[in-house]
Amino acid sequence: MHELSIAEAIEAQARLHAPPGGRIRSVEIRVGALRGLERTSLEMCWQAVTQESPLAGSELVVEMLPWQIDCPSCGRSWTSPVPFVTCSCGEERPNPTASDELDLISMTVEEEGED
Amino acid sequence: MANIVRTVQVPLATRVLESNDVIAAGNRAVLTKLGILAVDLIGAPGSGKTALLEATLRALSGGPRAAGMVGDLATRRDGDRLARWCDQVVQISTGQGCHLEAQEVHDALGQMDLTPVDYLFIENVGNLICPVGFDLGQAVKVGLFSLTEGDDKAAKHPYLVEAADLILLNKIDLLPHVSFDRTGFVADVRQINPKVPVLDVSATTGEGLERWLAWLVERASAVRGASVG
Repeated sequence: MHELSIAEAIEAQARLHAPPGGRIRSVEIRVGALRGLERTSLEMCWQAVTQESPLAGSELVVEMLPWQIDCPSCGRSWTSPVPFVTCSCGEERPNPTASDELDLISMTVEEEGED
Repeated sequence: MANIVRTVQVPLATRVLESNDVIAAGNRAVLTKLGILAVDLIGAPGSGKTALLEATLRALSGGPRAAGMVGDLATRRDGDRLARWCDQVVQISTGQGCHLEAQEVHDALGQMDLTPVDYLFIENVGNLICPVGFDLGQAVKVGLFSLTEGDDKAAKHPYLVEAADLILLNKIDLLPHVSFDRTGFVADVRQINPKVPVLDVSATTGEGLERWLAWLVERASAVRGASVG
């Protein structure tokens, strides 16, 4: 499965950057539309790959960046979860662009401290 | 004083595939320094990746100048086919892996004598999705589609189309026999990647291969220029 190897890579990278001590509550990532990743599959794979790891029980928070659609006929721009759409002006092939970003943005960690 | 639990958000801003990217950059540095054109060939199972490489190696009179790497989940059949046409081939068994990663290419490079090599063909695992996102250290990425897969495959795999330096449309000799809208296929490619060249080829009949070979020769001389410069 496409998402499994990505979930494994996120897990390895998150462990590498995890602060010492503290329990990781969630890992936040950002994914460009070009990557073609499915949020629900990623979340399912995340549970599987973290089962035996220090990240067990943590949540994977996925921000999906959409396609940017630019219509060459009417000049309008909008975002869409899919690349091939028609424009309401009648243009059948507006230009889709997207990023292939796959970034670890942050981690939310529970730390014990003194009052 | 009581112990309290604080929740803090730790900013990271790092690439998920950073470890792979670092190894890929190392591969690229080695290959570029030696003036080797490394081609990452990505296509679906049955699209004719191995057949295309056989025809390519035959035309280049492979021998010592060309080398191959083949990624497959199992068997060495493709590697054995390529070994008939060039001196060095490494078959990489990926096990459960649906794509090649930079570390596997790094390890395979370690098994090769790269001195006489001008062309390194890396046949990725048959898959139009996963291989695209993993940098191997290649100089160029080639997306291989074929007529028998159907004319909607470019539209369904925009990442490969966007990332490819060249799109090959294989089995073009079957055009009179299968239902394939070539104009629509090219329009889909253009919509995602307006600049990428699309070449019709047939690994079986040899049709269009001279243009593919000319493209390779041109890209190889660019890599050699970079290694000298």
